[in-house]
Amino acid sequence: MRPKIVFSNVSKSFNLYKKQSDKLLEIISFKDNKENFYALNNLSFEIFEGEAIGIVGLNGSGKSTLSNLLAQIIPATSGSIDINGETSLIAISAGLNNQLTGLENIELKCLMHGLKKQEVQRLMADIIEFADIGKFINQPVKNYSSGMKSRLGFAISIHTNPDILIVDEALSVGDQTFYEKCLNKMNEFKSQGKTIIFISHSHSQIKEFCDRVMWIHFGRLEKFDKSDEVLQDYNKFINWFNSLTEIEKKNYRKQMLEDQYKGENVSNHSIRRPTPRKPPVKKQGDILFTFQCVLLVLAVLVSASFMFGANPVLGIEKYFL
Amino acid sequence: MNFVWQILKEQFSNLNLIFRLSMFQEKSRYNMHYLGAFWQILNPVIQIGIYWFIFGFGIRGGSSVGETPFFLWFICGIVPWFFISPTITQGSNSVYSKINLVSKMKFPVSVLPTIKIVENSFSFIAMMIITVMILVLNGYFSGIYLLQLPYFLLCLYILLYSLTLLLSTLTTIIRDIQTMVQSIMRMMMYALPILWNVESLPAFFVNLLQLNPLYYIIDGFRNSLLGGEWFFYDLDYTLYFWFITLLILFIGSRYHLKFRHKFVDYI
Repeated sequence: MRPKIVFSNVSKSFNLYKKQSDKLLEIISFKDNKENFYALNNLSFEIFEGEAIGIVGLNGSGKSTLSNLLAQIIPATSGSIDINGETSLIAISAGLNNQLTGLENIELKCLMHGLKKQEVQRLMADIIEFADIGKFINQPVKNYSSGMKSRLGFAISIHTNPDILIVDEALSVGDQTFYEKCLNKMNEFKSQGKTIIFISHSHSQIKEFCDRVMWIHFGRLEKFDKSDEVLQDYNKFINWFNSLTEIEKKNYRKQMLEDQYKGENVSNHSIRRPTPRKPPVKKQGDILFTFQCVLLVLAVLVSASFMFGANPVLGIEKYFL
Repeated sequence: MNFVWQILKEQFSNLNLIFRLSMFQEKSRYNMHYLGAFWQILNPVIQIGIYWFIFGFGIRGGSSVGETPFFLWFICGIVPWFFISPTITQGSNSVYSKINLVSKMKFPVSVLPTIKIVENSFSFIAMMIITVMILVLNGYFSGIYLLQLPYFLLCLYILLYSLTLLLSTLTTIIRDIQTMVQSIMRMMMYALPILWNVESLPAFFVNLLQLNPLYYIIDGFRNSLLGGEWFFYDLDYTLYFWFITLLILFIGSRYHLKFRHKFVDYI
């Protein structure tokens, strides 16, 4: 089997700005001297066709960042990501426009996915049928319950025919009947050889559906193996963590987070390797950019001076002396 | 220069998407209004009426500009302005206002300003046709000079895209710029030959105001609608306009490409 998704030494760090003005400095200068937070640290794995992968982890461990990376919404800071196929991300806030009605949202989202008008018309009935929210389809989305929103979001995303479906806790707000419906649809996807990545806090859902499970722990890939084994370990960890006193929990979290700020334990080659290679290329681009920019500014100035007459300086003097 | 090509390529390869989405947006804009699309004509007509009353009737006392009646002279400038001004303010906000929608999927962010421009073009074209009709009915058809119109439309669209691309990138990162753009656009109207005949100023100040590339466009529209001058007679100014537009496009595409991956992080 050909791997559908390959991550090698992928890290994602976010810049933490202390002040609003730091953002400004980043735009003007080309320096990188700010604090970083490693949301994901040195991840390497492969996912194959027709697999269903579950992702578990505590809040803030980097699950949503991983799903964003998988959906190619945000780029990785270092490492390489290789994805064969179209991805579609389904999250709770599924990118619906609150002011528009459900019907308009379906049309808008489909158009944004690059579908033609006729294709949208064809899909419309299926999506409405699947979302099953009755007359609310003609109401603005702001009046929807969170369940309705997730139903609509799921229905739209699943009908845009992706190869890789990423479900980010979107099913946790739906009821059991809708969950069954989604599960059927996802199984159908799986049998078509499509890949599904399923992020959830519900162990039963993951156990039921996923072949392999990935445990993300404070930005690191703790374990990636058969569902039962990983879930067992994860449960063990949860039980251990719950048995700690409040202070111990706090200290544990603090220590883990500190590692994420430092980006420590990163195997040296993953972060450092691209650094020596990158700057010269970037710098050359910058010099070229600056050169072309200066050239254009000069052209603007010269042509402006022609407008003021061939002798621009004298032209101004007339009015001030 | 290759950032510029990359950005332009994204526009052309997504042409269908741009038209479909701007059509959709335009349809849904006046959805909640009872008068619907009629507002697109009504709104500018009311404003034109007020400006004409104050400037044409009140201040100028009904006198004409050169040989042209003030009203005709005035609509040739204000109709493009009613397209330019909202397009720049909305276009520079286009990325910020859509980022939540766009960030959950793969979408070429650089077409968002274009969508806004195309969206506003529908009513602009309608207003342009009405303007030409009014001019013809009053016997001020410019004849062969109308051939310049496509050239100035091209200038207008390239300048608008360059400006909105740069501004939409900057406003997403620095919100202050959006407020700044709004107040500058409000003021700019008086620094352009729209409401009053700027050319009555000393030549030096006219040249100073001409540094604003929008001056070139407004003047050009008036020259093609009322006749008078070919654009290639003012070669210095034409050259200046294209250089400054290119500079804006150049910086805009560079910054757009540099920061578009981070847009989500900035909000």
